Formats: sequence, C-alpha cells, structure tokens
Amino acid sequence: MESSSRVVLKSKQSKHKREIKKIVIHSFIIILGIVMLYPLFWMVSSSFKQPSDIFNSVSFFPSEWTMDNYTQGWKGVSGYTFGLFFGNTLLIVVLAIIGNVMACSMAAYAFAKLKFKFKSILFALMLMTLMLPFHVTVIPQYIVFNHLDWINTYYPLVLPKFFAVEGFFVFLMVQFIRGIPNELVQAAEIDGCGKIKTYWYLILPLSIPALVTTMIFTFIWTWNDFFGQLLYISDIKLYTVALGLRMFLDSAGESAWGPMFAMSTLSLIPLFGVFIFFQKYLIEGITTGGLKG
Amino acid sequence: MKKSLWLFIMITFTFLLLLGCSSNNEEADKGESDDDSTKSGEQIEISFSWWGDTGRHEKYNEIIDLFEEAYPNIKVDRQFGGWEDYWDRLTTQVSGGNAPDVVSMHQFYVSDYARRGALHVLNDKVENGELDLSDFPEAALDSGKVGEDIVMVAKGITMPGFVYNTAVFDDLGIDYPESDWTWDDFVDKAYEIKEAMGGDGWAVEDGSGGQLQPLFRYFARQSGQDLFTEDGKLGFDEQVLTDWWTMWDQMRQDGVIPDAATSNEYEGLPLEANMFATKKVALLGLPANQMYLYEEQMAEGEINIVRHPHIEGGPNGEYIEGAYLSITEDSPHKDAAAKFIEFFVSNDEAIKIFKTEQGPPAGTKASNLVLEELTLPEQRAVEYIQTTVELAEPAAYAPEGVNQVETLFSDNAEAIAFGQKSVEQAVADFLNEARSILEQ
Amino acid sequence: MGKFKLFWKNNGIGYLFLTPWIIGILTLTAIPMGASLYFSFTSYDMFNAPTWIGLENYEALFSDPKWLQSVKVTFIYVLIGVPLQLAFALFIAVLLNKGIGGLRIYRAVYYVPSLFGGSVAIAILWRQIFGGNGLVNNILDKFGLGGINWISTPDTALYTLIILMVWQFGASMVIFLAGLKQVPIELYESAKIDGAGPLKQFFMITLPLITPVVFFNLVMGIIGAFQAFTPAYIVSGGTGGPLNSTLFYTLYLYQKGFTQFAMGYASAMAWILLIVIALATAIVFATSKKWVYYQG
Repeated sequence: MESSSRVVLKSKQSKHKREIKKIVIHSFIIILGIVMLYPLFWMVSSSFKQPSDIFNSVSFFPSEWTMDNYTQGWKGVSGYTFGLFFGNTLLIVVLAIIGNVMACSMAAYAFAKLKFKFKSILFALMLMTLMLPFHVTVIPQYIVFNHLDWINTYYPLVLPKFFAVEGFFVFLMVQFIRGIPNELVQAAEIDGCGKIKTYWYLILPLSIPALVTTMIFTFIWTWNDFFGQLLYISDIKLYTVALGLRMFLDSAGESAWGPMFAMSTLSLIPLFGVFIFFQKYLIEGITTGGLKG
Repeated sequence: MKKSLWLFIMITFTFLLLLGCSSNNEEADKGESDDDSTKSGEQIEISFSWWGDTGRHEKYNEIIDLFEEAYPNIKVDRQFGGWEDYWDRLTTQVSGGNAPDVVSMHQFYVSDYARRGALHVLNDKVENGELDLSDFPEAALDSGKVGEDIVMVAKGITMPGFVYNTAVFDDLGIDYPESDWTWDDFVDKAYEIKEAMGGDGWAVEDGSGGQLQPLFRYFARQSGQDLFTEDGKLGFDEQVLTDWWTMWDQMRQDGVIPDAATSNEYEGLPLEANMFATKKVALLGLPANQMYLYEEQMAEGEINIVRHPHIEGGPNGEYIEGAYLSITEDSPHKDAAAKFIEFFVSNDEAIKIFKTEQGPPAGTKASNLVLEELTLPEQRAVEYIQTTVELAEPAAYAPEGVNQVETLFSDNAEAIAFGQKSVEQAVADFLNEARSILEQ
Repeated sequence: MGKFKLFWKNNGIGYLFLTPWIIGILTLTAIPMGASLYFSFTSYDMFNAPTWIGLENYEALFSDPKWLQSVKVTFIYVLIGVPLQLAFALFIAVLLNKGIGGLRIYRAVYYVPSLFGGSVAIAILWRQIFGGNGLVNNILDKFGLGGINWISTPDTALYTLIILMVWQFGASMVIFLAGLKQVPIELYESAKIDGAGPLKQFFMITLPLITPVVFFNLVMGIIGAFQAFTPAYIVSGGTGGPLNSTLFYTLYLYQKGFTQFAMGYASAMAWILLIVIALATAIVFATSKKWVYYQG
C-alpha cells in the first residue's frame, strides 16, 4: 500500500518534470524554427509589397498590400504563363522520380546484396562519377546530346535518370539496403524467391524510407536545378519554373523582383507540399525493427 | 495495405511515364515535319538569342512577330534570358556546335567570340547591299568592327557619363556638375558632396577597379593612350595607372568614397538596392540609355547626365558603346539571318517597337523616327547620346585574354582598397602579369 | 564458352540489376569524363579544336596564386563546414525523432531553408543579415557591441558562407531521420529498463546503429563541399570576393572555363580536384571498417 502510493507520487513528479522539459524543448525548437523561417517570411512579405517598397522600406510588413506581383508574375512573357511552366516542371519531375527510384534501387541492390566480379571497382567508379565538377563535363555532354538531336527536348533532363547516373542516390540506397538483415534475404530465398522476386517483394518495401528520401530529393533538386534546364531548353513552350524565375532577372537591366518573389513563393508550395506528404512515409514507414523480432 | 499503396504508386508512375514519352514523341514528329519542308526549299527556321528583362522579351517577341509576317517563309526560334545565363548558354551552344543563327553581342565579349572565329564576317554582305546599313553613320558601323572585319551590327548605341539626381543636389545645396569638367573638378566636386552629406553617404562609388571600361578606359584615352594597342599589347603605361589608382585611393582614405568593405557589400546588388538608387552616393557612372530606370525608381528629382570628366588639354575619351547583333560562323542560314538583322535595325515598325530599348537605334533616320515617341527622360538620354557620339573616336577591340587582364585589374584595385597592397606595388604587379598574359 | 557460362552463372544476376547503370555510365558519363580528361592535356578555348600541350596546364596550376588561394578557401570550407553541418543536422534529427507533438510541422519548417537551394533571393537575404546594417549588427548594437561588415570583410566572408551551409542542413537531416527510423525500438526499451539515460542511449544505441547513414552523409558532405559552387556564386556575384576570400575551387574553375575560355586549364583543375576528393573519400572508407556498423 505504502510503496504503491510512493510510486504514484514519483510518477507524478516525473510527469511534472517531463512537462517542463517538454516546454523547454518546444521553445528551443520554435525559436530555432523562426530563425530558419526568417528568409521565407521575408520573401513572402516582399511578394506582397509594391516594387519600390521591397528594397527601400525598413518595415518587415508591406506598407500597402498588393497582389499585383502575383497577377503580373503569373502572366509570364508573351502569352506563356506560369501555369504552363508549372505543368512542364511537374512532368519532368515525375519522370525523373520514376527514373531515379527504379534505376538507382536496382543498382543499389546489386551493390549491396549481390555477389559479382569487379564489384568494388565498379562501386569506386560510381563514386568517382560524383567527384568531377559538372562545369567541365557539360560541354562534351552537350555535344553528345546535340548529336542525338535532343536539344530543346526533355530527354537530356529525364532519360539519364533511367540509367542511374545520379550516384548520390545509388550510394544512399546501398547504405540502407546493406542494413537489411541477411537472414531475412536468405529466408526469402529459401521460401523460393529468386533474386528478382526478393528485390521486388522484400528489398523495395523494406527500403521505403530510402526510396521516399530519393523521391523528395529528386523532386526538390530537379525542381530547383536550373543550369541543365538553361542549357538544354530554349523554347519558351518548354520552359520550367526555374527558367521562368530566371526570366525576371537581368543584372544588366531592370529586374522584376516583385513578380520574381511572388512566383518563387508559389513555386515553394509544391515543394513544401511534397515534403509534408511524403515525410509521413519517411517517418512512419515500415521499420525493419518490427520484422526482425 | 502499404504494399498495395506502393504498387499503386509504381503503376501510376509507369503510366505517366508512357504518357510523357508519347507526348514527347509527338513534339519530335512535329519538329521533323518542319525539317521536311525546309528540304523543299520554302520554309526555313533561324534562331535568335538575346539577353534582357521581361519588358525586353515582350518587345523583341513583337518585333520577331512582325518579321515573320513580312517574311512568311522564315520562322524565328526565340531564345532569351538574363545577362549571365545568356553568356553561359551561348558559350555552351557555340562550342557544342549548336549556336543560334543570330546572337546578341556586346563589347565585353566580342573579342573572345570574333577572335576565335565564332562570328561571321559581314563585310561582303554589307558592301553588296545584302545587309543594307546605308542609314548607319560611319562611326556606328565602325564600332562593330574587330580589326577590319565587321562582325556585329549595332541595334542600339549608347554613351556613358555621370548621372545625378537634381533633387539630391538641391537638398545638399550644391551646384550641379558642369558637363565640361576635368578630373580635378570631379575630385573637388566629390569633396564638396561629401562635406554636405556628412555621415549619410559618399560622393560617388569607388571607380578604381571593377571593369576596365568605361571609366579607366576614358582616363587612358584622354591621356593619349588606350587599354590595348591595335596589335593586342597593353596600351597604357605605369604613369597613367598610378595616377588613376592614386586619385581614387586618396578619396577613399579621406572618406569621400566608400571603404572597401562597403563597396564590396553593394557589388552585384540589383539596381533598386544600389548605392545611387538608395541615395548613399550622389554621382553614378552610367550608360545614358539606363537613365530612365533610375528616374522610375527614385521618387523625386530629374536624373541628368554629364560627360565623363576629361584631362585638361588632353584628347577626348569618347568611343561608341552599344548592343549589337551578329551572325554566327556555323549558321546554315546566313542570308536569312542577314535579312533579319536588317529588318531589326531598319524597319520602321520594328524601330518604333524598339525605341531606345538598348540605346537609340544606330541609324540616323531610325533614331530620328523614335525621338518623337519618347518620354522625357528617354529624350534627355537620346539627346545626350547624339551630342557625345559626335566626339567619339575609333577604339580598338581587346585581344584574346582580355578577361584575364580585367580580373587582374579588379583584383589589384581591390587589394589597394583593402590596404593589402600599396599603389606602387599593385601597379607593378598588374603590369608584370598583364604583359605576360598578353605575350602568350 | 563454358567459362563464360560459369561467369554468367556466378555473376549474371548482379550484372542484370546493374544493366541500366552500366549503360548509363558507358553512354552518358564515360564520354564527357574521358573528354574532360583529354582536354586537361590540351589548350582548349571551347570554340576551336583542342591542341595537345602535355602537362603544361598541370604545371601552370601550381604556380598560380589564385589557384592556391582557391585550394585554401575550399579546404577551410570543407574542414569546418562539413562537421558543423553534420553535427547540427544530427542534433536536430535526434531532437525531432523524440516523441514530441507537432513534429511534422517542425520537420517541414526545418527543411525550408534547403528548399531555397541556390535561389538568388539568398544573395539579398545574406546581405540583410550579415551586411553592415544587417540583422546581426543590429542585435550586436543592442548589446553595445560594434559589428563589422561580415559579408564584405575578407577575414569573415567565408564564415558567412559556412553558416549558409549549416543553415541548409535539411537534406542531411532527412537522411538522418530516415536512418533513425531503422533503429529497432525494442533496443531503447530494453536500455530504459537497464536504466540508461537519454545521452547514454544516444551513444550506446542510436549512434552505432546509424553509422551507415553518418558514413553516407560524411562522404557525400565531403564530396559536395569540395565542389561547392552556388553559395559563393550567388553571394559574391560570381567574383569570389572580397579579395578572393570566397573563391571556391569550382568557382575559380568556372571563371577559367566560362569567362576566360581556358577549358583545358579548367579541366586540369577538375581532375586535380577529383584526385583530392577521391583520396579524402578513400581515407573515410578505409577508416569506416573501424566505426561503421551494418546490421546485415
């Protein structure tokens, strides 16, 4: 009787302590979060300012709210609106995601769980492709794509992803797939799964966090990557959001900062949305922990 | 449950993939049918590429639409972007063997392109009238020459000068600068401005480094020298450079111009936020065609312009600057490209759209045509350009390696500004290395 | 023939899964890489055919003071920036992985800076924060401290870029989070029963089990930081200033290649960089046997 009441008391105390600790952690996270978000606030606020207000006013909030930047920015140029650019970008991004997820996971499975000759050499080669600055490979690459007659199409931006050229993701998945217990793989094989079935029914589901990470990063990086798009896309009908945003800026003349910030704000929404949507799978996805028991 | 969701995602994606590929194929097919009609000799496509802001994109697209109406058999593929993007892409396209037929050109880069054989020499086309530039004054035509070769045609010309805002000067209670001033007057005026401003700002941005032209080039030309000689050697001596850097260094030490860190902070900022627009400095070196931008930006006052200061008794520094059009050497449709350039710089309707987009048109008739349709600040700019252009004398284009020399110039000027090198040291270092670059 | 069949039987399935990657490397990667290696032994202005000059580019590099400066800048950036960013990302990831309410929003919020990527808005923002009249100096003013112009003083400019790198820690954080998800929960439970505090849990359970992910982030962080380009390009307006204090290696390489048309020289720079990165990566790999633990 006595001892049990002491336990209740103790747990109450520790509950109280835990509450305080929680508040401390929360406030720390929130303050840090504000620091992280300051630029976003600034950009969104600027997107509602009059052009003359953006750089001259000291106030954080617009002195006069305006939607002009959004309407003007959305119009794009010569009748090609940002609606088109968003659509184009989405197409590229979706294709890039499919390519990266399929090709990189296949290569990663081979590197992580299969035995074959020259594996370590090929793996080193894969890492090496990441180590050369792209500025020196861009010209020869352009020549190759030009010979294939791929300039001004999405092929140079999309097709390479189906051949696992992004070693970053291969390496990422290798690290995750290596973490899948070998006993599990062997068990599947004893159950009659071939390597292909193992890949499909065991490896892929178990590496969902890595696959989702790949999806998020591919989405964001492809969405933001403008250099490749700049070189390979010149027809405005094929323009992407990143190119559309660059269109507002001309260091030798007058830049349309208001519309640029407005469209940048809009372009962050899909990125943010994708992150929120997919992180569910990232955090609450299937864990190997449960399967191991 | 999770697995089926996964499968669903994969299937959707695969479906989208097929969809995407098929729509891409359709586009490719369309492209091919265009090619077919080229073979039949009727329809050709040329590409034209330029840099600029959205306003310029609208204008140029309109001009191209007009051209396509006038020449229904020529279709113009349009490629555009901001300044940095433009040059990154053009470099890649030219070296990748896929250069646009007509490209926009600029003094800053023309040597690099022309001297490496990337630009088509237009002398024949101009002489036999295929590219009719009879409206162009000699000087404007010459400004598109590298050596004896015409490699580019001015779409608009401009002249730089120092601009000031009348309201700012009135507030400070200072007389406006005179158009016919010397560098000594300039320095005196700078001290006067600084005194009136107190701690709120400076007289003028640091002009010691950055790009070789226009400021330093004017100074060198007024000293009877130039940046480079005709045969591509360094064109100025120790004395000129020492005088130049000493003048600015003195002003910097006296706080008349901003210190090095402040200058650096403002470098590369957009027009709206730069020192002149935010009234941190009262004078600004600027090409006249951009004056109206500041008049739009600054609520009060008129933006006026005066000539660059000169050296007492020395020759004029003026030479023509502008924005140009070139035909690339690899272009398969040089005749159509020439037609396009001619249309762009001389068709009345096109000129009326162009107005003074990149400076007033180079042609005499053409520039008179636009004069009536301009706003007041634009008119002031055109008047200034028309008077100073008379003073312009030919200026040799830089040799290969100019970009390296330029970096060297700005590096050393910066080293003086940050107090890392003395003027003597910087001059010696610069001359040494510049000469060895140009020897190669 | 028999030998081939045996080879195929032992290795075929591996190569089957690698097929896309092998096609990719042969057709899309090998040619540009090989070409750049060839260019590095030539004088190549990008518009005319390259001419062979042997090792001249490589020799010229070592007497180029700007190249040496760019090497110095880049090493500082890598050595300070990478560990700092990883530590920060791991700290936040662990913090967010605890069962706190509202987690999803926090995670998304912390990812926001990384969404900006190389947006030009950053150039303006960074001046607003670290400039002479920027946010940091305003705060210092309140405490009676006079600040300097952080972004334009050669001694401090690079560190503002390191802060920028740490600020964009979202990608590493996400990978850490994904890694933390693979740690079996039962282990924590049994540790709790044994009376291990949170700190002890972290060092005894969490850290060892996520070493594969730490390893990945470290390797990719090193590779990425050595090739960092965009931060300096946008913040310094492409110059690498003030006084070349933010002249990153690849920024100098870009200047050489794309504004000075010395692609041969730029390619030589690239291959030296590749060797340095490869060595750094090899060292990390060599030590990894000692500290990276795979559950498999």
